[in-house]
Amino acid sequence: MAKHETPLLDQLESGPWPSFVSDLKAQAERRAKNEEGIEFQIPSDTVDDLLGILELSFKHGRTHWKHGGIVGVFGYGGGVIGRYCDQPQAFPGVEHFHTMRVNQPAGKYYTTDYLRTLTKLWDFRGSGITNMHGATGDIILLGTTTPQIEEIFHTLTHDMGQDLGGSGSNLRTPADCLGQSRCEYSCYDTNAMVYFLTNEYQDELHRPAFPYKFKFKLDGCPNCCVASIARSDMSFIGTWRDDIRVDQDAVNKYVENDAAYPANAGAFRGSKDWGPFDLEKEVLGLCPTKCMKFENQKLSIDNANCTRCMHCINVMPRALKIGKETGCSILVGAKAPILDGAQMGSLLVPFVEVNPDNDYEAITEVIENVWDWWMEEGKNRERLGELIMRQGFQKLLEVTGIKAQPQHVQYPRTNPYIFWKEDEVEGGWERDVEEYRKHHQR
Amino acid sequence: MSDLLDNTEEATKAVVAFLEKKSKSKTKFYLKDFYKVFPDDKPRMIKKVVNKMVEREILEYWSSGSTTMYGLKGAGIQHSSEGEE
Amino acid sequence: MAFISTGYNPAKPMENRITDIGPKDHNDFYPPVIKRNKGKWSHHEILEPGVLVHVADSGEEVYTVRVGGARLMSTGHINEICDIADKHCDGHVRFTTRNNIEFMVDSKEKVEPLKNDLAARKFDGGSFKFPIGGTGAGITNIVHTQGWLHCHTPATDASGTVKAAMDELFADFQDHRLPAQLRVSMACCLNMCGAVHCSDIAILGYHRKPPMLDHEYLDKVCEIPLAVSACPTAAIKPSKQLLANGTEVKSVAVKNERCMYCGNCYTMCPSMPLADTEGDGIVLMAGGKVSNRISDPKFSKVVVGFLPNEMPRWPSMTKAINQMVNAYSNGANKYERLGDWAERIGWEKFFEVCELEFTHHLIDDFRQQAYMSWRQSTQFKF
Repeated sequence: MAKHETPLLDQLESGPWPSFVSDLKAQAERRAKNEEGIEFQIPSDTVDDLLGILELSFKHGRTHWKHGGIVGVFGYGGGVIGRYCDQPQAFPGVEHFHTMRVNQPAGKYYTTDYLRTLTKLWDFRGSGITNMHGATGDIILLGTTTPQIEEIFHTLTHDMGQDLGGSGSNLRTPADCLGQSRCEYSCYDTNAMVYFLTNEYQDELHRPAFPYKFKFKLDGCPNCCVASIARSDMSFIGTWRDDIRVDQDAVNKYVENDAAYPANAGAFRGSKDWGPFDLEKEVLGLCPTKCMKFENQKLSIDNANCTRCMHCINVMPRALKIGKETGCSILVGAKAPILDGAQMGSLLVPFVEVNPDNDYEAITEVIENVWDWWMEEGKNRERLGELIMRQGFQKLLEVTGIKAQPQHVQYPRTNPYIFWKEDEVEGGWERDVEEYRKHHQR
Repeated sequence: MSDLLDNTEEATKAVVAFLEKKSKSKTKFYLKDFYKVFPDDKPRMIKKVVNKMVEREILEYWSSGSTTMYGLKGAGIQHSSEGEE
Repeated sequence: MAFISTGYNPAKPMENRITDIGPKDHNDFYPPVIKRNKGKWSHHEILEPGVLVHVADSGEEVYTVRVGGARLMSTGHINEICDIADKHCDGHVRFTTRNNIEFMVDSKEKVEPLKNDLAARKFDGGSFKFPIGGTGAGITNIVHTQGWLHCHTPATDASGTVKAAMDELFADFQDHRLPAQLRVSMACCLNMCGAVHCSDIAILGYHRKPPMLDHEYLDKVCEIPLAVSACPTAAIKPSKQLLANGTEVKSVAVKNERCMYCGNCYTMCPSMPLADTEGDGIVLMAGGKVSNRISDPKFSKVVVGFLPNEMPRWPSMTKAINQMVNAYSNGANKYERLGDWAERIGWEKFFEVCELEFTHHLIDDFRQQAYMSWRQSTQFKF
């Protein structure tokens, strides 16, 4: 028997999409029955009360949560978010309901052994409710009390070899796409690099270091499945600088509409019939730089004019492959809207090698130069993208020691208001007015 | 690193004095506020020393979720946890 | 409910402490077929909605069955995922960036039993536990934020709006009939923990009223300088206020016309609540993308300025989303993303074919970049 009536939420149980309400109700019932005899360390009816307070929000059209200043476990400045409900008498089971961020593995691969150990811990010491996963990428454990936080951390670190993720003005938990582990498009091993960066910068991840949050996201190719270009202060997007590899026989299989060579890897196998595949129209015609030709059953690509948008490769993955000389582009400054409006990542490093053998030296150098500048110059709660806007892209190039190149811009400036520095102008700014007056009357 | 930042005892004294001087108006500070206490040092070094003071239970963190601030341990009306201790 | 200790001693927090160990090593979590062929994949193919095969240079294959899931998930549900992974996938499973779950098997004959098992599992309320789909030219899972379930500044619910929207869009989760993939994202306030600003369709919770001020308690529970400095637009200043009983108290004043309803002050000060039944609701945005394919990544544009919160199923919101998806599906060319289609036909036509009303709220007036979005041309369609 449910503890609270939830007539509004109950209406979200029908329909085909997995119902979080049904899941929460089933979980509430499991906790009530407690067939495994778990010695729950937070109230056993916490999920009932979570449903109850959510129903109240559905009734009121308003949230019933307050923020709390809890930050983390001892010595950490992030990883835990404090939450309290504003109706503790009616819903004592969620009076204190803090979140813990657990650093997800690269590529979000799991063994069931690991997941079961985690769920066992979370049933014992928390609500048993999670997000798989949060927006940063972490496993989110949703709802426990303050005394449990250190205990959970102790079990995570001592028994599971598992650390927390970041929050606050820390490096946020870096996140990646699955990369080369299962994707032929990936230009570098995102899993290995995200694992390296996360470990290399543990201090920055756990303890405040910056004016505000800082996010790394790693995409294996320009398809950008983890949206790094839109939501990370520093985005690493795989690319290549030699030629797209072409298998001409396979190209012709696509042209012949061979069943084993479906266009776009089968992405259009559905209820709509788009007709037979047309190479001219669907690949050559849509190529943004029109750098491809198909003559005498032979596809040729003017690679010097290719911008590596991935379209042709996405359409014909059996015929076209990314180049061999791979690395990544680094873009900086993306962020969600507050305060100056949303920003997309801007290209800082067109190409850099991704080399695990020297600990990604070329990449960490860029990271640390950018951090030193931002830590020194960034105002409180100013994201990197906003600092770049305030001090200028030139300043960013200066602090990173990167030479300006046309790849940095969509087009050159449309105003001539160049603020020349004194040392850039021959002879400097100090001039002798008397000498001038010898030739120019007052 | 400056002599002040390098000397744990003196650095702590300087930080505590700075926070106590300001304690009438507010009790929580950004990392950047400590740059003034150590004008000759790099932010990266200051961060390391100040974070050590949290481990030594002289300071504590306070988080808005998106930013983390520092205060003297137990200071102020908004503690890190509400009515749980 | 006796407290059971792990051995942690709060009096000596640094004793035997383990810190800075990072995440688990992914190499220990890869399924064997992934481990063997990492970096040596030749190509892939979507066999049907939700089912993929990746073929390695070695000839080995891995079949993936992708299923949707609510990102809000109980341990009971995760344990059930583990049961399935133990039964079919030798104890391996992965999650995607968009909250889908992927079950991988190393041969074709293992696919059908896995699919049948997944498709048959339903919640007591009747919804699928593990609907297969979310691939190709269709609609995949909606990424979203916490909403009323756990956040202190949301203007709407996240799980509820997503459930309502996905029920409506479900056929497209299991089909590939659209011109290209269509990514829907949801964030429950303008802070956008979910960074929805580059999605084909974005559902955004939005407040429209500045915070209330609980003057009597404000100075007792908050540090006024913190509340003042929390405001990104400098709309808050310290102020003495006279209570009804004649006492003068220290508090703050808010310049309402400067407030952008971000809730940062409420985060710092619980005496400045923001939530409001009539004030809060939904903004819809459209036409953004993050992929570099064919055209550059682009921001989503606001196409519906405000819709009220209509619990529990937000019918006005789902209706507007359906209108956009249908108009896009009917009008766009193969491979054309929603934003590229809107740009090709012109945004004036977008509003016409989607049957959405254009209002003055949709014209940008925020800071300098607003100018860039006005029409500086005589080329437009009537």
